[in-house]
Amino acid sequence: MGRRLHARQRSHTTLTIRRFLPSSLTGQIALLVALALFVAQAINFGLIFRERQALRFNQVTAPAITRVVDAIERLRAGRTLVIPRVDRQGNPRLERRGGSRVDLVSTNPIPAGLDRAYDVEDGIRTALTELGLPHGQIVTGIRQIRGNDPRLATYSAKRAERLKRFGGELMIAVEIPGEGWLTLSTPWPRGARDVIWRLAAQTLIFYIIVLIPLLWIGRRITRPLKSLATAARDFRPGEEARPVEERGPDDVRAVIAAYNGMGARVTAMLDEKDRMLGAIGHDLRTPLAALRVRIESVDDDADRTRMAEIIEEMNRMLDDILSLARLGRPSEAATDVDLAALVDAVVEDFRDIGADVTLEDSPRIRARMRPALMRRAVRNLIENSVKYAGSAEVRLTTPPGSVAIEVCDRGPGIPQDKLDAVFDPFTRLETSRNRDTGGIGLGLSLARAIVREAGGTIALANRDGGGLIATITLPR
Amino acid sequence: MDMSDTPHLLLVDDERSIREPLAQYLTKQGFRVTQVGDAEAARTRLQAYAIDLVILDIMMPGEDGLSLCRHIRATSETPVILLTAKSEETDRIVGLEMGADDYVVKPFSPRELAARIRVVLRRMAAGGARQHAPEAGSYAFSGWVLKTGERSLVDREGVSVPLSTGEYNLLLALVTRPRQVLTRDQLLDLTQGREAAAFDRAIDNQVSRLRKKIEVDAKSPELIKTVWGGGYTLASEVTRL
Repeated sequence: MGRRLHARQRSHTTLTIRRFLPSSLTGQIALLVALALFVAQAINFGLIFRERQALRFNQVTAPAITRVVDAIERLRAGRTLVIPRVDRQGNPRLERRGGSRVDLVSTNPIPAGLDRAYDVEDGIRTALTELGLPHGQIVTGIRQIRGNDPRLATYSAKRAERLKRFGGELMIAVEIPGEGWLTLSTPWPRGARDVIWRLAAQTLIFYIIVLIPLLWIGRRITRPLKSLATAARDFRPGEEARPVEERGPDDVRAVIAAYNGMGARVTAMLDEKDRMLGAIGHDLRTPLAALRVRIESVDDDADRTRMAEIIEEMNRMLDDILSLARLGRPSEAATDVDLAALVDAVVEDFRDIGADVTLEDSPRIRARMRPALMRRAVRNLIENSVKYAGSAEVRLTTPPGSVAIEVCDRGPGIPQDKLDAVFDPFTRLETSRNRDTGGIGLGLSLARAIVREAGGTIALANRDGGGLIATITLPR
Repeated sequence: MDMSDTPHLLLVDDERSIREPLAQYLTKQGFRVTQVGDAEAARTRLQAYAIDLVILDIMMPGEDGLSLCRHIRATSETPVILLTAKSEETDRIVGLEMGADDYVVKPFSPRELAARIRVVLRRMAAGGARQHAPEAGSYAFSGWVLKTGERSLVDREGVSVPLSTGEYNLLLALVTRPRQVLTRDQLLDLTQGREAAAFDRAIDNQVSRLRKKIEVDAKSPELIKTVWGGGYTLASEVTRL
């Protein structure tokens, strides 16, 4: 139970993922390449980042640690932190270490809101702890330095130049318990954010350089494949198949050429079948015709009439077989037809020969079909009802988007489990619907083949109170 | 000559099993029958005898029936009835366009063939001039087109309005005789030719059904008008297409 539930969840997840995955060849290749590029760039980025970390430790953190430690040791030794000296201009100067100074102030001099360099803070804290030097908070702050920064004027030319080159200044404040805050500042290389942007831009350029040719080649492959798929889908054995243009890479061309060859073979095979059926039809009709002529010499009228009927029935069967076999290549073109008039005409033909067939009045219904074939399908259904039930009621209804022709009777019906089977060619039912002549049931097979060819469906159902409803549903 | 009253038929069919009993039957029916098995023999017989009517099988090895039919039509007024193995529309249309006067589809009833032969011969005797088979071609009248090959009626918008056999025969009789008054008896006679069994209900019934399909208002018909004293007429110009 639990396992099954799990499996279902997993398949659900797979489905969700699949929905967002591109299904086309080009899309999948592009996604794969994009992912691969991304992973490569991410590794690249990681390496660069680590290198920068190491570089920064050497350039910034290590000197800062040295200076802080030195300053603390000075404080502890009771020496003054600031050595009063006079520079060349005669101004008092502070002691210099590594090109900058360390001051002792009473409060944290770093304004809140600046970006902090946590790695530097951590580095200093670790070093001080290792050395056993007492310290409180450690705060850092990064200040951007632009070319015209007014503070630059307060620095020496050499320092100002360095700051400008680095593009930033890192201020470090270390709280010494009982003494105050040691502050120092050091040039700070342009932020990591810059690196990220540079990498992003680089990745984007990669993507463009790789993906554009990829999409181009993908299109070159998929466009001929798409037209091949369209041709295969639209392939109607009855119609003259136009060969698909051979283009794209060699592999694709080979597939298209193979498809064209196959289409030509299918068409040739169907032509052969048609010729064969034509010959069979002719060869079977000729002896039938000879027989039909000869029975005129039979003197007994009843006998002769019965013989003529049998020959007529054989001929109809032959017609049905040939029609069914030829249905894949209908010779009749589809046209706009008034379906109500079509059904009415079929019903009228039955009434003309004295059959009890009724039709409910219906307004004009326009639909596209092959009229002679559809007439035949409707005729076969009505014929079936007339044969087994003695009468038929025909009705046209228009469910949304379609039109339905219903042929109802009050005959013996068909067992529920045989309702589908009667559409199969040459199906015989053991029950009451068996044909009294012991013949074959091709009428329904032919009707179904015609309706399917027209894009519709055909169904049989037993009727409440006995009898059968045959329904042809056609799209509008 | 003792044969002068007996119509002389030329039966052309390569199938001996059909040709021989058919010739026998037609002879019994009072025709003089000459039978041949191919088109070449038929040509020589046509020159040698005064043939009144040719019965011609379409499907023959060598020169086929259609080609022979074209030859007969080009050189004489001798009427032709085609025997066709296929009931397919194209064969029928082609045959009638080749100038055949009528056709029967195999397997046909010899009685029906004999009846057709008599109708064609009577027509020849009465009119003298051969009448073009009405079934070849299309007729346009007041926005409608009756296509005889496909047996369909097409409206202004190109929508096909299927007709029952009875309706079709009645409409064909009317459009081939526009503005003529046709009595019920005449119409019955004209429409029974093709499928005799399919037409024994009253003409009036067929007319009213046809009106429902083609008239703007079936209650006050403008196309198929009732003529006082019995009969109907098609009150429209008809153009043969």
